[in-house]
Amino acid sequence: MLTVDAIDTYYGEFQALEGVSLKVEKGQTVIVVGPNGAGKSTLLKTILGLQKARTGSIKFQGEEISGLAPHKVVERGISMVPEGGRVFPDLSVQDNLRVGSYNPVARPNAQRQMEQIFSLFPILSDRKRQAAGSLSGGERQMLAIARSLMSCPQLIMLDEPSLGLAPLVVNMVFDFIQQMKKEGYAILLVEQNANKALKVADYAYLVESGKLVYEGDRDSFDKNPYIKTAYLGL
Amino acid sequence: MLEELLMAFINGILLGGVLALLAFGLNLIFGVVKIIHMAYGQFVMLGFYFIYYFHTAWHMPLLVAMAGGIVVMGLLGMLVQLLIINPLLNAPRLNQLLALASLIIVLENLAQVLWGADYRGIPISMPIIQFGDIFIRSSYLLAFLGAIATLGILYLFLHKTYFGLAIRSVAQDVEIAKGMGINPKVIYYITLAAGGALTGVVAAFFIPIYTVHPHFGASFTLMAFVIVVFGGMGNLMGGFISAFIIGVVTSITAVLTSTEVADILALVLFILMMMVRPQGILGAKA
Amino acid sequence: MKRNSTTSKIITVGVLLIIALAPLLATSEYMVHIGTLILLWAFVSTAWAYMARFGLVSLGHGVFLGIGAYIPVMLFNYYGVSPWLGMLAGVGAAVLVAAILGYSCFRFGLIGDYFALVTLAMAEVVSLAIVACREVTGGSLGCTLKASVGWASFQFDDKRYFYYIIFVFLLLALYIWRLIDKSRMRLALTAIEESELAASSMGVSIIRFKMGITLLSAGLTAMGGVLYAQYITYINPGTISGVGVSLSTCFKAILGGMFNIFGPLAGSAIMVSLEEYFRISFDTGFLGVSEIIFGVVLLVMIIFLPKGIVGSVSEWLNKRFGVARS
Repeated sequence: MLTVDAIDTYYGEFQALEGVSLKVEKGQTVIVVGPNGAGKSTLLKTILGLQKARTGSIKFQGEEISGLAPHKVVERGISMVPEGGRVFPDLSVQDNLRVGSYNPVARPNAQRQMEQIFSLFPILSDRKRQAAGSLSGGERQMLAIARSLMSCPQLIMLDEPSLGLAPLVVNMVFDFIQQMKKEGYAILLVEQNANKALKVADYAYLVESGKLVYEGDRDSFDKNPYIKTAYLGL
Repeated sequence: MLEELLMAFINGILLGGVLALLAFGLNLIFGVVKIIHMAYGQFVMLGFYFIYYFHTAWHMPLLVAMAGGIVVMGLLGMLVQLLIINPLLNAPRLNQLLALASLIIVLENLAQVLWGADYRGIPISMPIIQFGDIFIRSSYLLAFLGAIATLGILYLFLHKTYFGLAIRSVAQDVEIAKGMGINPKVIYYITLAAGGALTGVVAAFFIPIYTVHPHFGASFTLMAFVIVVFGGMGNLMGGFISAFIIGVVTSITAVLTSTEVADILALVLFILMMMVRPQGILGAKA
Repeated sequence: MKRNSTTSKIITVGVLLIIALAPLLATSEYMVHIGTLILLWAFVSTAWAYMARFGLVSLGHGVFLGIGAYIPVMLFNYYGVSPWLGMLAGVGAAVLVAAILGYSCFRFGLIGDYFALVTLAMAEVVSLAIVACREVTGGSLGCTLKASVGWASFQFDDKRYFYYIIFVFLLLALYIWRLIDKSRMRLALTAIEESELAASSMGVSIIRFKMGITLLSAGLTAMGGVLYAQYITYINPGTISGVGVSLSTCFKAILGGMFNIFGPLAGSAIMVSLEEYFRISFDTGFLGVSEIIFGVVLLVMIIFLPKGIVGSVSEWLNKRFGVARS
C-alpha cells in the first residue's frame, strides 16, 4: 500500500534521513522505533509532504506521492496524528474534528463520521462545544486521533502518541490503536515506547541517526539481543 | 458643551463601528497570514476612488458602483498576496513591512495619477436626526448599522463554513492545518480577498461621510493599527471592543482640542499599550 | 569569510577620493546639489544602520530628523539664536527623546517588529505635534529659515560648502561605524542579538549597550536634520518628519545593505539618483508617475535583493570568486 524507497531528507544542510525505505501493507500495523532525534518524525512529515525528500520515491497505492503538497496527500487517504496530540486549542472539539474532514473526499461523509466518532469516544461528545485547549493531555491525544479518522483515511500515521502521557492513559491510547487495527486501517506508528508499540505491531523498523538499522516482524524484533537491551529495557 | 460632548460620544460609537470593521480586516490578515498589512488604509482610499469612478464616469447606480468597488478591492487583495506577500512569506518580518510600505508609495501616487490631488466625493445629502438637543447624522448611523451587520456576516462566515473553519485553523497552527489537508496558500488568498473586500465595504460606508484624496488612507492605517494593538494582535473580539474605545476617545478629544491632538493621544495609547500590555486588553498574559 | 584587507582598503580610499573630487568635476550646480543630497541621506541612513544591524530596527528616525531640523530653525527665526547653539539644542533634544523612548522600549523588552511599530508610531506623533503647533511651526505648510549668509548663521551661497561639510559628517559617521566594530560593543551587541540570556550572564548590561547605540544613532540623525534645514532652508513636517522620511531612511540603508559599512551610502546614491531621474523623466506630464515607478523598483528590490545591493553583490562575488570584500 505504502512503499517508501531510499529517501533522503534534509533540513538545510543537515541530513535527517539517509536512504530510508519501508513498506506498509493493507491492514498492517507497522512501527518505527528509535531514540529521540533519530528522524522518526521527519519520516512521517516527508511521507505527508510537509518536508520534501531530496531523493528517493514514495508510492501510495501504486502512485508516486513524493513531492506532492500535503493537501494532495491527505486527499489520497493518508492522515496524520501529530506529535503530542497537537490540536487547535482555541477551536471547539467539534470544530477540531470538522477540520479533519476538510478535504473534498471526506467532506460529504463528515456528519456521519462525526456521529461514529462520538459513539466511539463519548467523552469527546460530552465536550464537543468546549475549546480543545481545555482538555486533558489524554483527551487531547484522543481528539487528535479522532480528528485523523475524520479524513476517511486508509493509512493513519501516528507520531509518538504516548509522549507525555500517564501510563494509564498510554494504555487507553494503545487500546484504541488496537481497535483501529481491527477495523482494518493500515497504521504507521512512530514510537519511543518500543514495548507498547511492539504489542500492536505486525512489522517493525529500527531507525538510528536517520538510517534504518534493523527490520523484522514482531518476533524477530523481540528476540534481537541489541534491541532487547537498548530499547525494550529487558 | 455637555450636548457637544454627548454628541461626540455618540459619533465616536457610530464611527467605532466602522473602525471595528476596518480593524477586523487588518487583524484577520495578521492573524492568518502573520503579516502586518501596512497599506491597509490606502486600500480604503482606493476603494473610495473606484466607487467614485464607477459612479461618476461609468454612470453606474451608486449601489452597483459600491458592489463593483468591493469586488475590485477583493481582487486587488488577492493581487497583493500573489505579487508581494507570497514571495516574502519566509522573508524577515522587516522586509515584509517595508515591501508593504513601498506599496503605500505606489498606491497613493497611482491614485494621484489616475484621479488627481483634488478632493473628490459623491454628494449625497442625508437627513440629520434630532433627539431633543442631540443631532445624529443618519450617514453615521447607516454606516454603523451596516458595519455591525457586515461583522455579523463575517462571524457567520468564520464559524459556519468550511473556509471559515480553515481560516481559523490556519491562524492557530499552520503546520497542523497543512497536515489536515488544508492548503494555506489558498487560505491566504481567501483572507486577503476578504480583507480587500472589507476595505471596499468600509469605503462604501465612508462615501456619504467623507471626500477622498490620495493621502486619505494614511490616517486609517494608523487608526486600524492602534485598534488592533489595543485589542491584542490577532484577537478579533479585542479588536471589536477597542474600536469603540478608540472611536469615543478620539472623537471626544477632537471636540475638546484638535484632531491632531486626538490622533496623538491615540498613538500614545498605542505606544503605551505596546510597552505595558502587548497582548492587548483581552489577551492572556504571555 | 575571507577578508582581503588590501583590496578593501584600496576600494575604500578610491570611493572616498571620488566623493572628495566629484564637485571639482561637476559641470553644474545641480550635480553638486544631487551629490549633497546623496551624502546627507547617506549620513542619516548610516546612523540609522548603527542600530538596525544589531537588531534594533527603527521605523521612526523621522522623530530625530524632525527635532533636529525644527529646533534650530525655530530658535533662529524667532529668537535669533545662533544655529551653532541651535544645533546643540536640536541634537540634545533628540538625544533626550531617544533616551526616554529607548529606555522605555528596552525596559519593557520591546524587540523586533514591536520595536519597529512603536518607533513608527512615534514618528507620526512628532509629525502630528509639529502640525498641531501650527502658530509656531507653520503647520503642514512648513516654514522657511530666515536668510542670513555666512559662517555665523551657518548658511552659504556656494553649494560646495555644504557638500564638503556634510562629507566630513559622513566620514565621521563611517569612522564611528568602524569604532563600533572594533570596540567591545560589537562583541557585546552581537551577543545580545544572538541571545539575551547568554549576554546577561556574561555580565553585559544589555540596556546600557542598546542605549549607547541608540543615543549615538539619534544624535547623528538629528544632526542630519540640522544640516538638511540649513542646506535646503525650508522644512515641513511631511518631508523631514513623520512616517515617509522614516521609511525612506531605512529603505536607503536596506537597499544598499545595512550590514555593510558602505551599504547605506550605496543605497542613498541609488535612491536619490533614481528619485531625481524619475522625477525629471516623467513629471513633466503626470505628477506621481515617478513615485509609482520608484515604489515598484523598491518592491522588486526588496523581494529579489533581500540582502541589499552591496550585500547581494558581495555574496555573488563570494560565490563567483570565492573572495568577499568586507
